[in-house]
Order: sequence, then structure tokens, then C-alpha cells
Amino acid sequence: MLKVEGLTVRADGVELVHDVSFSLAPGERVGLIGESGSGKSLTALSLMGLLPEGVTATGRARLGGDDLLGVPESRLKGLRGSRMSMVFQEPMTALNPLMRVGAQVAEVMTLHGRPRGEARERAVELLDRVRLPEPARLARAYPHQLSGGQRQRVMLAIALANGPGLLICDEPTTALDVTVQKQMLDLISEVAPALLFITHDLAVVASMCERVLVMYGGRVVESGPLREVFTRPRHRYTQGLLAASRLTPRGTRLPVIEGSVPAAGHFPGGCVFRNRCPHATPTCETEPQLTEPQLTDPAPGDPAPGDPAPGDPAPGEPTPGEPTPTGDRHAFACWHPAE
Amino acid sequence: MPSHAGTPPNDGPLIEVRGVSRVYRRPRSSFGRQGGVVHALRDVSLTVQRGERHGIVGESGSGKSTLLRLLCALDQPTAGSIRFDGREITGRPERALRFLRENLQIVFQDPMSSLDPRMRVRDLVAEPLVGLGLPVGNRVAELLDAVGLPAGAAGRYPHQFSGGQRQRIAIARALAPRPAVLVADEPVSALDVSVRGQILNLLADLVDELGLTLVFVSHDLSVVRHVCETVTVMSAGEIVESGPVDDVWAAPAHPYTQALLRAVPTLEGLL
Repeated sequence: MLKVEGLTVRADGVELVHDVSFSLAPGERVGLIGESGSGKSLTALSLMGLLPEGVTATGRARLGGDDLLGVPESRLKGLRGSRMSMVFQEPMTALNPLMRVGAQVAEVMTLHGRPRGEARERAVELLDRVRLPEPARLARAYPHQLSGGQRQRVMLAIALANGPGLLICDEPTTALDVTVQKQMLDLISEVAPALLFITHDLAVVASMCERVLVMYGGRVVESGPLREVFTRPRHRYTQGLLAASRLTPRGTRLPVIEGSVPAAGHFPGGCVFRNRCPHATPTCETEPQLTEPQLTDPAPGDPAPGDPAPGDPAPGEPTPGEPTPTGDRHAFACWHPAE
Repeated sequence: MPSHAGTPPNDGPLIEVRGVSRVYRRPRSSFGRQGGVVHALRDVSLTVQRGERHGIVGESGSGKSTLLRLLCALDQPTAGSIRFDGREITGRPERALRFLRENLQIVFQDPMSSLDPRMRVRDLVAEPLVGLGLPVGNRVAELLDAVGLPAGAAGRYPHQFSGGQRQRIAIARALAPRPAVLVADEPVSALDVSVRGQILNLLADLVDELGLTLVFVSHDLSVVRHVCETVTVMSAGEIVESGPVDDVWAAPAHPYTQALLRAVPTLEGLL
């Protein structure tokens, strides 16, 4: 239903997102993970047509039969909030402080042509669906009168109002307490149609998604079924992220990724991770392509593993050597993958 | 590092909180709640021994930030007493709190908002010394080295650093007056997971090397378990559970702690 090919985002001649490709089937839940500055939010914003002034996206993205890139705002307006919608990280800045929350939920429906009275009734139903207590009464409240968790539920009600086929969530629970986060994640799992879930929290993505894309330096460096990527990471960046996510016993050193994420435009050429990678060699000055390991081994002279992990989907028939970035199988872009 | 001169010998606990309450007046009623008074803290007591690494866990509204403000004498309790190294800190004017300011320093959650963007790192790190009238000397270079920043960092501004590096600057500044206690308020919550380990490793090293007492506030019990030996769990302004962190982790006694542990997603549990 969503197909993204060669998405590239630029600002002032600096490439912020480079050649990102993936697809999302109806009902599928895909996680987009990476650190701040990896380009995951820009990827989502370009799909929604919400890039800031001066930032442009090229490539191809289709939602069902509609193009999302390079089309006029008037066309996107009809899709945004209706066929696809987005829940942002900070509900306090995303909601209008001067408007009652019920009216904000109703607005997204009247904007897409629903009669006012009907929209108002349906708004209360939606607030009930996201499990807000006393929805009729709460519809009359202003955002500041709600807790952070309640506000994020209102955001979700707005996102779901027109029955979208695709829901994009950008760090929807980062600002919430853990117990509230749990409730919110359970709710999103329950109500989301197809889901593109952006987070820096690997444990959260593991609880939500079936498939995952790992981004670093504006590129997808590894992708595949979540379980496989997380139990057998191949890219050294993914491996480092997973190691850093596990808290070792007290008194021991925590594993870290040395250094920090470079500023936009300051990533090294070739493999974007090579200046922080403990395994980097001169080979890494050449850019590795995102490929599936079973068919094409990127490390020359290294025997192809060819032993699909248990639960691996049946191998397809892509041409060896050709990047298969939109495939559902485990792919990575690394010259010295972890075994 | 030199010992903490000026700290009188005292074998009792370093921080002793007894029956502390803090009541705020709510200006007006809010949706779904009654207006009136808010009991931010109710009859809270806790003890931190010298050299202890003490974690305080709770969610927003649990009162952990109020408790921190009281520990740092940035606010006054409505009732109860707080003693630091045997000396009462409540009800004292600022000029009588020098012993506390020299010996207790804090690292905040968001290094972007806790560092003045118009000050150079050199001045940011030296500020606590200048404020207390202590000699600066080459202390800034010493501190930058201790937190793993290059000496050249001194002449730069906070915005020129990444989140993790800014938190290193904040730690260097907190250590400047050679405090006995470091209070860290969610020091890694705003950081990416790859950098979180760097900062937690650094804190652990500094606490060991300098023999610091650490009060570590977090919403994440698993981070507290990595850092601290003892933990106090707070909910709705009260302490619901406290003790050795491994015991609380293995067998949480209070329903709130149990719910908190269940809610934390862990990779181990999911894969």
C-alpha cells in the first residue's frame, strides 16, 4: 500500500536522507529506528508532505495509487489526515491550545467533507475509542487541562478520525511515563491500520513491529524481520545499538558506540558509520549497498552464509548482486558484517 | 583528588530526610480534579549514607522533583527536617547554606536548557567556583580532562557540542567545587542510547575515583539498577518502597513497583 523508492531529502545542497526505499503492506507494522540525526523523522515528514521550508524531497513514494512526492500541496491536502495521518512526539505543541479537544477531533473530519453535526458526534465516539474517560465531558476540555498521556490519546483520535490506511507515529511515547507508555502502545497496536513507527527505543519497537528499518546518517543501513535483525544483527551499527540498549550488571562497563552522531553533512563518505566503527578498514571508504546476505555476500572472498535463520521466509528470486531494498528479507549495507 | 576539606568528621548519614511534606496551593481548579491544595510530598523519610549510590524512581507527579529541590535547598518543606552532614538545611537563609552549596552539586536532565548558551564552556565550568569565591586556577582544564573532553572545548559554546558532550560539560561544572554529593536528575533520559552508556560509565568512574555519594533520579528502574545499590520508589508524593535495588527488582513488594516493572519494555523479554 505504501511504496517508497529512492527517497532523498536535501537542504542547502546537503543530503539529509539518501536513497531510502521500503514498502509497507496493508496491516503491516514497520519500525524505523536510529539515533537523533539519523533522518528518520525527515523520512516520515517527506511522506506527509510536511517538510520545512527549504527542505526538498526527491524520489518516488506512492500510497495506494497516489503519488506523495513532487505533487502539489492541494493534492496532498486531500490525503493527509484522511488516507494517512501522523501522531507526533510532543502533543502539547501539536494540539491547538485555544480549541477544545472535541472540536479539534471534529475539525479533521469537517475538513475532509463530513457534516459538522455528524463530525461532532463521531469525535466523542473517537475519544471513547482511545479510552479517554467520560468522552462527552472531556471533549469540552482544552489541551492544557489534560495530562500528557490524555493529550497523546487525543492526537491518536485525530489521526484515526477519517479511518486512514496508514498511521505514522513519530516517537509517540517518548515524553510519557513508562506505565502510560505501555497503555498508549497497547492502544496503538490495537487501532493502527498499517503502521510506520519511528523511535530511538529498541525495546519499544520490539514490542510493536514485525519488521524494522535501521537508519544512520540518512541511510537505511539494515532492514528485515525484527526478530532476525535484533537477534542476529549484521551491520556494526545495529550491533552497537543493540549492545548499548542492554544494561549490564552494576559495577561492569556498559558497551558503547564511541563518539557521537556527526552533524548533518559531516558524515564520512563511503560507509557513513566508518568513523565510529571499530571494524572499519580502507574498504569502507567505498559505499556499501543494502543487500541480502544469502544471495550476495558483500565482503569479497568471504563465503556466503546461506543458512537462513529459523523462521526465515522462503527465499525469493532476486538477481544476485542487485540491491533488494524493498524486500521483506534481512538486508544490510556493511563490508564487515557481524556473524 | 584532594579530600573534602571543611567537611567536619561525622559518622552519621550524609543526608537525612525526616517526615518531610510539601504542600502547594493550586491557583484554580483543573479539568477532572478538585482545586485547592496539592500534597506534592507526604511524610517522606529517607537516609543516604556516605559513599552510597541511591536511586530515586518515580513517574511524573510522584514528587521526586520536589524532593530533589528540597534536598538542594531550592525550596522549603511545609513540614519535616532535612539534615546534610548532620546540619539542618531547612529554614536557613541562602548565606547560611554555603556548606551545602560547596558539597552538593546537581546535574540536570536537559543539558541544553541547563547550560547558558551565551557562555563559553570555560566560564560555565568555572561558574560554581566564582560563585563560591573559590580559586579557579587550572581547575577547568583538569575537569574537562576528567570528563573526557578535549582542552580545546574550553573556548567553545554549548551549541557546538552534541547532547552527550553537553552532559559531560554539565558534569564537569557540577564537580568544580569538589562536592561530596552529586545529585543527577534524569541525566541520561534526553540522550540517545548509544551515548547513554558513555555518560553512565563516566558517572560510575567519577563516583569511584572521587569517592562521591550519588543521588540518582530516574523514571527507569533498570537504569537505576545498573547505577545504584539502594533505591527509593515514589508514587503520588509518598515513598512506596525502598531498599537494596536488587531485592526490589527481584521481588517488588508494592503494587506500584510491580506495575512499573511490568511496564518497562526490555529487549530480553521481547525476543
